[in-house]
Amino acid sequence: MIEKLQKLAKDYLISGKVEVIFGLREKDNHLAPYIFTQVEELDSLVISSGQAGMQTVKYPLFYTCRPSKKNIIRLIEEKYPAIKMGVIVKGCEERAFIELAKRNQINMENIEILGVACSREEAIECRCPRPYPNHPLLGEKVEGVLEDKNVGELLNKGLSERLAFWQFQLSKCMKCYGCRNACPLCFCQDCAMEQELWSKIGEIPPEIPIFHFIRFYHLADRCIECGECEKACPMDIPLLTISKQVRKDVKELFNYESGLDLKQESPLLTTLDERPMKEVKNDGI
Amino acid sequence: MEYKNVLTVCPYCGCGCNFYLQVLDGELVGILPCKSHLVSQGKLCIKGWNASDFVVSKDRLTKPLRKKNGKFVEISWEEALNLVTEKLTQYSPDAVAVLSSAKCTNEENYLMMKFARAVLKTNSVDHCARLCHAATVVGLGKTFGSGAMTNSIGELEDADCIFVIGSNTTEQHPLIARYIMRAREKGSKLIVADPRLIPLTQFADYHLRQRPGTDVALLNGFMNVILKEGWEDKKFINECTEDFEELKEVAKKYTPEEVEKITGIPQELIIKASRTYAQAKSASLIYSMGITQHTTGVDNVVSCSNLALLTGNVGRPSTGVNPLRGQSNVQGACDMGALPNLYSGYQSVADENARAKFEKAWNTELPTKPGLTVVEMMHEAAKGNLKAIYIMGENPMLSEPDINQVKKALENLEFLVVQDIFLTETAQLADLVLPGTSYAERDGTVTATDRRVQRIRKAIEPIGESKPDWQIICELARKMGSERFEYSSPAEIMDEIASVTPIYGGIGYERIEDIGLQWPCPSKEHPGTPYLHQGKFSRGKGKFFGIEFKEAAELPDADYPLILTTGRTIFHYHTGTMTRRTEALNREVPTGYMEINFKDAEKLNIFEGEIVAVKSRRGKIEVKVQITKKVPEGVIFIPFHFAESPANALTNSAFDPVAKIPEYKVCAVKVEKK
Repeated sequence: MIEKLQKLAKDYLISGKVEVIFGLREKDNHLAPYIFTQVEELDSLVISSGQAGMQTVKYPLFYTCRPSKKNIIRLIEEKYPAIKMGVIVKGCEERAFIELAKRNQINMENIEILGVACSREEAIECRCPRPYPNHPLLGEKVEGVLEDKNVGELLNKGLSERLAFWQFQLSKCMKCYGCRNACPLCFCQDCAMEQELWSKIGEIPPEIPIFHFIRFYHLADRCIECGECEKACPMDIPLLTISKQVRKDVKELFNYESGLDLKQESPLLTTLDERPMKEVKNDGI
Repeated sequence: MEYKNVLTVCPYCGCGCNFYLQVLDGELVGILPCKSHLVSQGKLCIKGWNASDFVVSKDRLTKPLRKKNGKFVEISWEEALNLVTEKLTQYSPDAVAVLSSAKCTNEENYLMMKFARAVLKTNSVDHCARLCHAATVVGLGKTFGSGAMTNSIGELEDADCIFVIGSNTTEQHPLIARYIMRAREKGSKLIVADPRLIPLTQFADYHLRQRPGTDVALLNGFMNVILKEGWEDKKFINECTEDFEELKEVAKKYTPEEVEKITGIPQELIIKASRTYAQAKSASLIYSMGITQHTTGVDNVVSCSNLALLTGNVGRPSTGVNPLRGQSNVQGACDMGALPNLYSGYQSVADENARAKFEKAWNTELPTKPGLTVVEMMHEAAKGNLKAIYIMGENPMLSEPDINQVKKALENLEFLVVQDIFLTETAQLADLVLPGTSYAERDGTVTATDRRVQRIRKAIEPIGESKPDWQIICELARKMGSERFEYSSPAEIMDEIASVTPIYGGIGYERIEDIGLQWPCPSKEHPGTPYLHQGKFSRGKGKFFGIEFKEAAELPDADYPLILTTGRTIFHYHTGTMTRRTEALNREVPTGYMEINFKDAEKLNIFEGEIVAVKSRRGKIEVKVQITKKVPEGVIFIPFHFAESPANALTNSAFDPVAKIPEYKVCAVKVEKK
């Protein structure tokens, strides 16, 4: 499949459909996001890498750069407003992309999406409910993980047992902010996690559970279930398990799912007379 | 348009985490953790996530500065290097000294020690490892034959028992704490010995809260119980060790009752914890500054080694004695011989064969007289015997014990040159300041705490007129007439290192582009060494020493009734030159503080947030009160990062007689209302 993708990307570049391709490049056995400007470079284009015995390594392309707190695509768009960019996306990345565009954080106008579907095995590894973009150019849409085992197990426990579980898990936190930093949808200039109103600063573990839960609440209608928060956690706190539950609640309460449709407004951005509020473009400090 | 992610090593502690510096058109835009890295696996601590901030700080030095009439003025590189040449060549070799840096690369440390020995003709080259793990280099050197972490970070995950003594791992080596927590979740037992309620203690099966400075007694107590119960590994002792009888004699005296009296730890806890450690299939011991920074630092280290030898916990995966190194390249700076008594690869200056080898390689005569350690340099400078010091990337004005004396010593010098990226407290005292580059602006290698030699890579151009340290040293050496400082790149320097340093013999850039290699790696075919002493110790047999407990140099008394212990927090790093210029970290902890037990606070009638005076026999500081249960009664803790409340104005410069490491962890103080 990777040869097909490389060929497709080359065709896009050669035909002038796009001027650059944004994807993952492999170098010295490590892969990282890269902007390909030359056709020959595309031989090192990859989607993921797997070494025997290790987890599959992938990177989301839409991460928020810090300290600017701007998405990398946004930073590129600001410098090169007219550039036509091809972006290789998996299902989760397309959802992030749609949600960011919906919230005025990036501009989709000059972007060409090259969607790639993940395999069933990859979906299981990521506990992904929807392992494909809306219109994959490569790969087949396979069924995602619809019933999450971890969420199920937890819901079978009593309330006090669940509380004890989270108290233990969150007490491991060393306050790296990795969950937030790795989140494509965490772009707020004033981050609630940093405010002393919610959690005393300068202490580890930070206040349980509000330090983490203020983030989950804040992301209730944004989270696209990519699981990058959990993957970034040095202490293996099962953050995705909470995100999944919150996302499920939002779906049941408002019949809303983030990241699927650019035109669908978030219910949490809707006013009482049902006119949607516009999210403010993150314009730096 | 150019957008790339440049893989490099985090500049903070010795975990060796890798991340990408995100670069858009030559400008740093952020940090991305590397998911395919062995140790960090896409995770970082808060310092790592924010490690690009200080690189572009407006405070970066951009030009050489010369002090004229008490004020710094910008000068050209030409003028600056001529001045250093003129000054450093006017003194006898005994009157000059060099401080190398655990923040610089292996290549730079090698060059700095070569510069000191081959050009300045002095062995007085040292660096801040003196202040952190000198006791390890000496202690494990004499028991095992190699003063480094025996095992690898990742192996911790599969240990059956982890014994952490004197290491606040969560805050000081966050990504190593990850593996401790993973081991625990797999069912490993966790023993933590620490006077403070550090984050790990809440997950410990046993928290042994010893009185500061009583570690030898505690470890002897462990061995007493183990020997009494017959839990020692007799086969291992017979086959792989020597001088067991010596240990046995001493351990006899340290019964749990006796040890309870000395340490304050209930004897039942000592017995239970000893059993857990001794009966584990693979037990891993981790230690850090809580063991080394004592006048009995070497004794403490040797006692750790005794315990591991007694139970056969060396030379196998997930076991060992694992000193955690606190800086990105403090392991490498030691490996490279930035030490007064050793060349690179721990080859002794006193060994004539070793000296002859380096004389041949460098084509020059080398000094035989032993050099000064950093602590001794300060004493000699104060006495006027040392005239000039060249400091690269160190800040002794905050990091040394008893800094009032350090200031006097540095001011007493005729010439002080400081090479750094910021105008540190030390640089402010200099006659000449040379602007070096940060990790993001240069190529090289650094060696992580588990002996892994990894690449750092240049991501952006040097800021202003700053230059990579290796280039500055080479230019100086050439100006001083040396012909052996011609290198086109750090890779070429590494080739020379490999040619004269057996443990690095097989290391070359072409082999370490992806994950690095762990020394000893003696040849180009050698795969590196994940754990040491397999089958045989580096020195042949593991050696036991009978070690008696000795009290710390300064104990509390009627005048100074409290014990001060110092350390770091997760949010800051060393003297704060980098972290205090990082917004995300400053927001968490903006200034210094003193942890004091609520009972002591009540007695002193002091309140949370109040500014109090803390006094020792050496100095006085003012600091904010933090009332807590984290420290026991009678003990206060002050982090040493903060220039406005410098813990090291109070600490005692009394040092270990062999390793010369100062006693940062115990001194007597009093707290007074302002």
